[in-house]
Amino acid sequence: MFIKKIALAGAVSLFASGAAVACSYENTVPLKSLTAGFEAWKAVTDAMAACGNFEPELDQEFRTKQPAAFAANPSLYHIGGVSNGTVTPLLNEGTIRPLDDLVAKYGQNLSPNQLIRVDGQIMAIAMMVNTQHMMYRSDIFADLGLEAPATYDDVLAAAEAIKDAGVVDYPLGATMKSGWNLAQDFNNMFLGFGGTFYGDDSMPMVNSEAGINTLEMMQKLAVYMDPEFLVSDSTYVQQQFQQGKIAMANLWASRGGAMNDAAESSVVGKVGSSAAPLAMAGGAPATTLWWDGLVIAANISDEEADAAFRLAMEGLTTDMVQANNDAAIWLVNGYQPSDMAAGAIATATAAPAPAPYPSTSQMGLMHTALGNVLPAFFTGEMSAEDALAAVEDAYKTAAEEAGLL
Amino acid sequence: MKPKVFAMFVGPSVFLMLLFIAAPLISVLVNSFQVTQPIVEVVEVETCTPGFLTQTCVTEVKTVPILDDFGKIQTTTKWVGLQSYANVLELDRVGEAISSGAWGNILQIDFWKALRFTLTFTLITLPFVLGLGLAIAVVVNNATKAVKGPVIFVSLLPFIITPVIGALSIRWLFYGDGIVTVWLEALFMTDISVAANGWAVEFLMMFYRVWHVAPFAFVIFYAGLQTVNQDTLESAIIDGASRWDRLRYVIVPHLMPLIIFITLIHLMDAYRAFEEVVGFSSQSQRITLQWLTYDLLQPDDAGNRAISRASASAMLTMIGIVLILILPLRRTWRDHKGG
Amino acid sequence: MSDAAIPRAMRQPFGLKLASNLFLIFWLLLAAFPLFWVLAMSFKSPVDAFSSSAAEVIFGPETLAKGDGLSLIDMALGIAFIWLSIKAAVKWLMPMAAGVGTLQRVFSWLVICAGFAVMVIVGLFVVLPWILAPLNALAGPLGTPILGLTTEHYYAVWVENAFWQNFNNSLLVTAGVVTVSLTVGTLAGYGLARSGSNLAFWILIVALVFRALPHSVLVAGYLPFFINSAEWLRPILGENAPTLYGQPLAVIAVLVSINQPFTIWMLRSFFQSIPEELDESARVDGCTHFQAFRWVIMPVMWPGVITTGLFSFLLAYNDFLVTSLLLDASNQTMVPAIAGYFNRETTTTDQVEAVAAAVSITAPLFLLVMVFQRQIVSGLTAGAVKG
Repeated sequence: MFIKKIALAGAVSLFASGAAVACSYENTVPLKSLTAGFEAWKAVTDAMAACGNFEPELDQEFRTKQPAAFAANPSLYHIGGVSNGTVTPLLNEGTIRPLDDLVAKYGQNLSPNQLIRVDGQIMAIAMMVNTQHMMYRSDIFADLGLEAPATYDDVLAAAEAIKDAGVVDYPLGATMKSGWNLAQDFNNMFLGFGGTFYGDDSMPMVNSEAGINTLEMMQKLAVYMDPEFLVSDSTYVQQQFQQGKIAMANLWASRGGAMNDAAESSVVGKVGSSAAPLAMAGGAPATTLWWDGLVIAANISDEEADAAFRLAMEGLTTDMVQANNDAAIWLVNGYQPSDMAAGAIATATAAPAPAPYPSTSQMGLMHTALGNVLPAFFTGEMSAEDALAAVEDAYKTAAEEAGLL
Repeated sequence: MKPKVFAMFVGPSVFLMLLFIAAPLISVLVNSFQVTQPIVEVVEVETCTPGFLTQTCVTEVKTVPILDDFGKIQTTTKWVGLQSYANVLELDRVGEAISSGAWGNILQIDFWKALRFTLTFTLITLPFVLGLGLAIAVVVNNATKAVKGPVIFVSLLPFIITPVIGALSIRWLFYGDGIVTVWLEALFMTDISVAANGWAVEFLMMFYRVWHVAPFAFVIFYAGLQTVNQDTLESAIIDGASRWDRLRYVIVPHLMPLIIFITLIHLMDAYRAFEEVVGFSSQSQRITLQWLTYDLLQPDDAGNRAISRASASAMLTMIGIVLILILPLRRTWRDHKGG
Repeated sequence: MSDAAIPRAMRQPFGLKLASNLFLIFWLLLAAFPLFWVLAMSFKSPVDAFSSSAAEVIFGPETLAKGDGLSLIDMALGIAFIWLSIKAAVKWLMPMAAGVGTLQRVFSWLVICAGFAVMVIVGLFVVLPWILAPLNALAGPLGTPILGLTTEHYYAVWVENAFWQNFNNSLLVTAGVVTVSLTVGTLAGYGLARSGSNLAFWILIVALVFRALPHSVLVAGYLPFFINSAEWLRPILGENAPTLYGQPLAVIAVLVSINQPFTIWMLRSFFQSIPEELDESARVDGCTHFQAFRWVIMPVMWPGVITTGLFSFLLAYNDFLVTSLLLDASNQTMVPAIAGYFNRETTTTDQVEAVAAAVSITAPLFLLVMVFQRQIVSGLTAGAVKG
C-alpha cells in the first residue's frame, strides 16, 4: 500500500477511508510507525497522521523488517502494528515496552478487552479481531431450502445440493493457496478436531488421528472447489464470491465488506455470514481467533514513548471507528457490527470458543512446515500419513536448527 | 599496462564487488557450516488476548530466549560441518527412495524437486530462446525498411517490461477463467484448470521465459547480422549455396560468439529463475533453486528463519552454476591464452 | 538498402516472403498481446477487468453502465489528437534534439520526452474532456458512449495514492545507478580490455560467477547491516554515522555492485573493438593512460556506453528484491510499491489499480526504447557484445 502522507481533503475513496478524522491536539515529537498495509491500518494511521509530525509506513515486508528495525538502538520506528503471530519475535527479543503506566495516563477510552497482557504486564493494545467464518449466498440457500451449515458435514451436504442444482461453477471456495494460507486452513480444521500441534517437549504431534481426520475432511471439501484451489488466496476467493462463481467459503471476516461493495460485486446483499462450522460435535468452531494491535518500541526515550502512545490513542477513537465502521471487526468503542460481522461475532462468542492462534516459535516453524509439505498431499503425490510424517520431519529439522529441540 | 595504473582503473569496480558481493558471499559460506541458536529457557507465561467481548487468558509453557545485560538475545554459534548441507540434500530419504525402487519419491524432497525443475527449465528454454531469437532477427532483417523501426520496437517490449508484471500479464490470460483458457475450453469443449496441472504450469513458466528473453537474443543477433560480411555471402551465392546453406555455413558461424554470449547469459539467468514462481504462484507444483533459498530466508510469524539451511542451499546453487558454466568458459580461457 | 540494390540471387521467392511475413506478424501479436490486454484491463471497472469474456474486457459494459465511456466523437477526436501530437513531436521536437555531442543529445532527448509526455497528458485528460463534454451533448447518437473506459484507477494511483513519489524515487535510484555504474564500469572495462594479464582474466571470471549468484542470498545479508549501520559505524564516524536502511544512496551502491559484473564484461568487449593503436599512438605522443582515455577513447565510446547504460537502467528500474527490502516506504520505488497491491489483504479494486500502476511504470520504458532503439542496435553492432 502507498502511504497517504497528506490526508487529501475531499479525496473520494471507494472504501471507507472516508473523511479525515480531526485530531484533538498538535503532535510536536517526530514519530514513525511500521505496520501492515490493509484497510484497517490505513484508517488508523490516517487518523494518527491528522495530529502532525507523523510518518506512517504501511509495508508488506513488515514481517521481515519489524524485528530488526525495533532491535536497532535507537529503534527506527516508535509505533509498531502487530498481530498475535508477529508480536512473538518482538516479545522474545524484548524490543517492545510494557504499557501499564501509559495506559493509566492516556488510556481512558480503552476497554479491558483491548489490553494484551503477558504475565500481567500490558504489552500491546488490540484494535480489532479477525477470524475465518462461514460466508454463504443467502439467496441460493433460500432457493434450495438449505440452512446455514453448522458443521462441516452440513457443509458437504449443502455443497452436494448446490452442485446438483448447478447454480454456480463451484459450490465451495477456500483460501488454500500453498504456503501460509493452506497451512492456516489446516490449522483451523485441526484445532476443530481437537488436535495438538506439539507437546511440552516441542516434539511435533500432527501425525495423529486429528491430523488424518483434518486432511480427509479437507480432501472431501476440495472435490467441490475450483481445481485451482492451490493458488487461491483470500483475494481470489473474494473475487469468486463477487463474480457469483462460488456459493460458500470459510473466509476472513475482514473480507465481508467487499461482498457488498457495488463497484466490485455482483452479489450485493446476497451474502450472509454465520459462525465457522464445527469439525466435530461438541468441539469449538474450526477456526482461530486473531487480533491486530499496536506496540511501542523499547529502544526509544521515555518522552518519545509518551508521545507515541498518546498519538496511538488518537488513532483508536470512536470518530475513527465510525468513519470506517466496515473496515474491520473493531474492538474500539463506537463500533456497530454490521450483518457481515454477525458470523465472526457468533464464532468468537461460541461455547466452547475457538482458540486464539497460538503465537510461539514452535508454531511458526510448524506453520511453515505445513505450508510447504501439504501441497504434495493435495496434488496426490503423498498419502495423508506420509504427508503428516513429512511435515513432522520438516518441523524437526527446522526446530533443531532453531535450537528448540 | 603497469599494475599500478591497472589498479587505478579497475580499483573502484573491484572494491564495490568485494564489499557488496564477495563479503556477503563469504558470510554465506561461513553460515552454511555453522548454526547460530538463541539460548532458550522454558517458562510458564500467562497471556490474555481479546475475544469479541471478553478476554481469554491462557497459561502456557513457552520456550523463550534469554536476554543478556544489554537486552540482546544470547546466542551460541557452533560448527556443524556439513550438517546443513545434509539437511538440504536429505540424502537418507534419497537412499530410501532408491533402495525401495520408488525413484519418483526423490522428487518429493524440496531440493531435488527444485533442482529437477531448474535444470529442465534452463536447458529446455535455451534452444527456444536461441532459435526464436535468431528466427526473428533473420525475418526482421529481411523486412522492408519502412516497418523495421516499429517492428523492432514491438519486439523489444517483452524484454524491457518489469519481469513480475510480464509474468502476471501472462498469468491473467490463463489462470482461473482467463480469456485464453476460455478460448481453449471452447475449442476443445472441455473444462481446463491450468493452475491445477503441474505440467501446464511448467509449460507456462517456460513459455513466459522464452517470451521474455527471446527479444534480447533477437536484438543481439540482429546487431550481429548487420556486420555479416557481404562479400562472403556473395561468393557463397556464386558457389551456388542455397539459402539454407548460407544461413548454416556463413551466418551462423559469424554469429557464433554471440550465440555463446547469449547461452552464457541465459544459463545464468534461467538457473536463478525466481520471478516465475512468484508470478505464477507455482509453489505447490514447481519451485526453483533460488526460490527455495528465498523461502528458507523468509521469516515466519514468530520471526524464525532457517539461515544455515538457506546458506547451504545457496552454496549448492552456486556450485551448480559453476559446473554449468565450465564448458562455455573453457572457450574464453582458450581465447585468453591464444589472444 | 532498396530492393534494386539486392542481387538477384538474394531476392526471395514469394512463398518464403509470405512465410516470413506471417511468422513476423505472429511474433508481433505474441509479443504485444499480453501487454495490450493489461492496458485494456487498466481502463475498466473491476468487474469488467477480471471478466472471463474477452468482449467484456474490451468493451466494458459494466464500466459503461456506470457512465464512464467514450462515444464515437470522443474516439475520433482522441485518435486525431494523438496523431497530431505525434506529428508535432516529429516535426517540431525532433529537430530541437540536434545537439553537438552525444551527451547533449541524450539530455535534449530526455527533456523533449518529458515535454511530450506533459503535452499529451494535459491534452488528453484536461483539454479534450473540456471540449468534448458540450460536443457530446449536442451530437445525439454519435455522442452516446459506446466503449466503456474509465481513468479512475489512474487517478487513484497517481493522485490519491501519491504514486508520483514512488516515481520520483525510481528516477533518483535509476539515475544514480546508471551514472555511477557507467563511471566505475567504463574505467574498469577499459583497464581490463587493455591489460592482458592473468589477473585481469581472473577478475573477469570471478565477476562472471558473481553475476550468476542468486540475489536473494546477498540481499538477506544486507538487511541487518543496513539497519544497524549507525551503531556499527559510530566508533569510526562519530555521531553522524548514518542508518543506511531506507537510504536511496545505499541502495544505489548495492545495485551498482550487483550490476558491475555485467557492465564490465560488456564494456570490456566494447573497448576491445576499439583499435589499441588509437590510444597507443596518443601515449607515444606523451599522454598518460588517463589522458589517453580522456581525450582519445571517451569521444568514441558513447555507442557502447549508451547500450550498456540501457541495461543498467532496466536492472535498476525493474529491481524488486533489493528495493523492497532495503528501502522504507517513503523512499520506495515503483515496482515494490505495486507489489504492495497484491499482498494478502487486497480488494479487486486494488488489483485493477495495480494494473493501472503497472501500465504507468511501463510507459517510461516505452518512451525510452522508442528513443534509444537505434542506439541499442548500433551500440551492439559496434561491438559491445563479442562473446
